[in-house]
Amino acid sequence: MIEFERVSRRFGDQDALRNLNLTLERGEMAFLTGHSGAGKSTLLRLLLLLDRPSSGDIRVNGESTSNIRARKVPRYRRRFGVVFQDHRLLFDRSVHDNVALPLVMAGFSPTDTARRVRAALDKVGLLSHERANPAVLSGGEQQRVGIARAVVARPEFLIADEPTGNLDPKLSTEIMALFEAFNQVGVTVLVATHDLPLISRLRHRIIALQDGRLAGANTR
Amino acid sequence: MSAAPEQVREEWGRFAAWRSQHRAAAASSWQKLVSRLVATVMVWLVVAISLALPSVLLLTLDNLRPLVPDLARPAQVSVMLGGQLDFAQAEALRRKIQDWTSVEDVTLIGRDEALTTFGEQTGLSQLLTSLDRNPLPHTLSVLPSMPRADEALSRLIEDLNALPEVERVMADNQWMARLNQILVAGERWGLALGGAMVLGAILALANTLYLAIAARREEILVVRLIGGSPAFIRRPFLYTGLYFGAGGGLLAGAMLWILTLWVAGPANALFLLYDSPGQLHGPGWRYPLVLIALGAALGLLASWMASVRYFSRLEAH
Repeated sequence: MIEFERVSRRFGDQDALRNLNLTLERGEMAFLTGHSGAGKSTLLRLLLLLDRPSSGDIRVNGESTSNIRARKVPRYRRRFGVVFQDHRLLFDRSVHDNVALPLVMAGFSPTDTARRVRAALDKVGLLSHERANPAVLSGGEQQRVGIARAVVARPEFLIADEPTGNLDPKLSTEIMALFEAFNQVGVTVLVATHDLPLISRLRHRIIALQDGRLAGANTR
Repeated sequence: MSAAPEQVREEWGRFAAWRSQHRAAAASSWQKLVSRLVATVMVWLVVAISLALPSVLLLTLDNLRPLVPDLARPAQVSVMLGGQLDFAQAEALRRKIQDWTSVEDVTLIGRDEALTTFGEQTGLSQLLTSLDRNPLPHTLSVLPSMPRADEALSRLIEDLNALPEVERVMADNQWMARLNQILVAGERWGLALGGAMVLGAILALANTLYLAIAARREEILVVRLIGGSPAFIRRPFLYTGLYFGAGGGLLAGAMLWILTLWVAGPANALFLLYDSPGQLHGPGWRYPLVLIALGAALGLLASWMASVRYFSRLEAH
């Protein structure tokens, strides 16, 4: 469960988030929308402790994040799988090694790592490209590799920042279906996107941000 | 959520995980170095030259030191007395000088004794007996109490010279003390030069490593974002620094050996010409070993500096 309690973030004299209250239940899947500058990125950055709130508290499973020290931040971040718009794969290594990165960091054994990487790649339908360099894959395939990397260590939370921003509608639908599949096995999913036509067809909560506050429509 | 990462790590063992991460970092760093061999060799050369130059100086001093004959032996001062002094007067003077604090011991060598010894040593006894008078003066052999202190020795010589009975003072092995001082000075010069070169090597390495880190900015950002600890991120760069430094040290050791072999011929001939039983001392195994260890330490230090600097800037953004 993720709770934002009266969270504000100021940059100079500008408020990126104002007094935001928000709860994401365990096992829930929600979309975070809003115009650019509405505070989506700030919200995600605060959640991943890439930034700290000016005031208010963010609690994860009831535990306040405000007193997580810098030394403990990496371990905290490993509870999240993160998918980026530009997928941020490393082109100096194979698809397998990209997906394996979170497992290597967490200290899994090589055999365990290989097994889990193959399972994750199988789920996103790219098992046959295990040895390929991600640079030769299409945009949609690269994003699926990014998703495999995000879920391979079986995180509690899956966070995606504009995961379909660069993809056509058909690929976008496929990617969202993947997120739903992970949500169905219990992962809490939060997807920031402004692809309103797509998410309006999916039956999940839509959290709309406007000028750093929750906008009126907060439908389930 | 069948198994949290922590549990799995516990099963497999923290140590095994740590070792496996190190092995992976060590291997990938090595592959990156080998894939850019020309650049790598250039870094090795920079480190090697910085380490080899002061080492050559120190090795040269090591070779010169045995040539200073027995510095433990005190510098003796020979004092020739005026020809008009008789033996009793000379003996009186000996006792007087003996009481000086700057003097350890004084021996009187009478002119007759000196002539006999001279005759025996040169085989000219026959000839010397034909002289109508002994040309040699009485001599005092003075052993200074602080033979190694150049300043005290000079003052003693001055004091001796000031005596009216004294004709001439000869400190024949004063040059040894001087040579010794030159060696000490040379050693310090070598250490200072070495320190400067090593500092230069650290800075050059740190800069190279900083660029190497900056070139992998994207990877660092991604790994940081998905929960890589600073130690995990830093590890490959520490290995890169280690390889740069240790490789440079190894190369410096090889340079010393090659130089030694090249110089050995003429140097040994020179030793022979000076009737020295000495042989040119090579760097042995100790110099290369110290150089490799020193290089490795420098490399680690440099990469530590570079990564701390880079990550602190990264955090600032």
